Amino acid sequence: MNNRSLLISLAQKEFRVRYKRAWLGVIWSIALPIFQSAVMVFIFSRVGRFGSGSSFNYAAFVLAGMVPWLYLSASVASSTTSIVDASDITVKIAFPRAILPLVSPVANLFTLAISVLILFIALPIVGASVGPRFLFVLPAAVLLCAFTATLGLALGALYVYFRDVKFMVQAVLLVWIYITPIVYPPSALKGAAPWLDFNPLTGIVGLFQRAVGAPVPSVRALLVSVATTLVLGVVAIRAHHRHDRLFVDLL
Amino acid sequence: MTQPAIELDGVGKRYWKIQERSLLRSLVRFGPPNKTELWALRDANLLVEPGETIGIVGRNGAGKSTLLRLLAGVSRPTTGTVTTRGRIAPLLSVGVGFHQEMTGRENIYVNGMLLGFGKSRIDTLFDEIVEFADLADFIDTPVKFYSSGMYMRLGFSVAMHVEPDVLLVDEVLAVGDIGFRIRSLDRMREMHRSGTAVVFVSHWLQAVQLLCPRAVCMHRGQIVFDGPTEGALARHHELLTSDADSAEYARGTVRVENRQLLKLDGSPAGTVQQDSAMIYRVELHFDESVESPQVLFQVYAEDGTFVYQMQTPLGESWRTLSAGAIATLDVTFLPRFGGGGTFRNVVVVTSIDTSVTYVRDDGLAYFVEPRIGAAGLSDLEAKIAIDGVDRTESRPMRFGGTWAAVEGA
Repeated sequence: MNNRSLLISLAQKEFRVRYKRAWLGVIWSIALPIFQSAVMVFIFSRVGRFGSGSSFNYAAFVLAGMVPWLYLSASVASSTTSIVDASDITVKIAFPRAILPLVSPVANLFTLAISVLILFIALPIVGASVGPRFLFVLPAAVLLCAFTATLGLALGALYVYFRDVKFMVQAVLLVWIYITPIVYPPSALKGAAPWLDFNPLTGIVGLFQRAVGAPVPSVRALLVSVATTLVLGVVAIRAHHRHDRLFVDLL
Repeated sequence: MTQPAIELDGVGKRYWKIQERSLLRSLVRFGPPNKTELWALRDANLLVEPGETIGIVGRNGAGKSTLLRLLAGVSRPTTGTVTTRGRIAPLLSVGVGFHQEMTGRENIYVNGMLLGFGKSRIDTLFDEIVEFADLADFIDTPVKFYSSGMYMRLGFSVAMHVEPDVLLVDEVLAVGDIGFRIRSLDRMREMHRSGTAVVFVSHWLQAVQLLCPRAVCMHRGQIVFDGPTEGALARHHELLTSDADSAEYARGTVRVENRQLLKLDGSPAGTVQQDSAMIYRVELHFDESVESPQVLFQVYAEDGTFVYQMQTPLGESWRTLSAGAIATLDVTFLPRFGGGGTFRNVVVVTSIDTSVTYVRDDGLAYFVEPRIGAAGLSDLEAKIAIDGVDRTESRPMRFGGTWAAVEGA
């Protein structure tokens, strides 16, 4: 109970502190995702021509794909370093260290909600229709948050032992956005498309894109997403359980 | 029978000293793993009852911090068991876990929650915490604008108000203004009365002496003494001295050997009383012939402050000591160091015109008991009278234990 309120107040703190000294404050949390998504839409609708001839609205497709991506990439990097970064607290006070990697995913929930809202507002603007299928964002968001949280937990624990992990995460994030069908539909890869299903993010992103009219993601992609989340979750929880009071020895 | 607040049973903590910690190294391991083990704590047994105040002394690296980490529950022992009962509040160094960008108010909440309190509980304690820290005017200012004193007061105040069953104090009392220090000591005394066990770790030995009836002395990861504070401090100084007895000064023209701190009657001095004169006796071994050697006797405080010096008549010719001669050097002195503390006697032997220093011996450290109410490096034996009434401090400060018993007798 106290752990939950601690997590929430740490998340509030993180969110407030992030924008505290910025003139536009919290507006940045809205403006940045819009800007990044707009750039993506603009570039890839011209360069890749992925949009032409598809049965759905390409701009809406990219915007929907960017929502989970922005949440994941913003959360995972700070989750990874969270336990080490908080070493001034962790060497002194006993509380479950697992709270720390969860702070960022929780703090970013607010931004995620706003991105979904913006997506909803943007759909008519880019000429896409809005229907009950938009409710697909709910299971999509649940799966996304679970995946991000378990990934953060695992990486946070790993980073205490191996400081290389931080840079590996940065490198993987650079590539991950392009091996996930965010700016292109899976069909654009033709024969290589089934390989995308082994990327746990494919199913999650697919659900978001389904909400704006793209085809339903493949069952295999969804299973991979769910299975990865479960496995990561079990591994991460066990790692934290065993190492909770050993992390401090390496800080 | 009440249950002990802290129980350590055969506790050991092993660290691995790993030369290089990288993923590549651990994946591709050539030859034997390049790590060496280090026991920061070994076979420690300790029982602390509720309401007991216990001091921990020892040199740097003796295992004090490791012990505190285990008690705070942030680290897990390699062997044995650590049992603590109730809420533990660590008061370790300054401003635990404050976020610079957040205000004092926000930090109180986060800090209180880290110590295991719910939001509503902190709501009820909030005003008291702020008042105790004396920060009402700055509570909505980000703590990065706080002075170090304000920062410390806030952290201290939070930890003092979470009603801990075990309070771990590490060096914090040495900072802060005098008013806050007295308030904190009062508060600790109050907590002590209500059954809080206090573990007090400090290099500030006067504070240990003043607050703790019982102390443990640690050396190289082991508890080497557990008992009355006088005994622990005596053991601590013994260890300080024996380690200073290194081979560093073994070579050269003059060697200093056989350092002894004696009472006037020639018996060895344990802890040093301010009122009784001492003799610092060393042997000067001359490996080469020296014409009219000069001696400087110096005293340094624990933090390196130069306290005192007396010298022989420099430049005056008096006698030649031939190679192989052994001279006994006796320095008689009165250790009047008002606040007490650890001091170190240094002997310097130079040539007649002091142009050549033969030896500088950082010999002996010893502990001088503080005089109640007195502080500072010297004792001017001040008396404070107000309208002719003597108001000089003479109350014992210690929580319970021996001094209180003396008072009652």
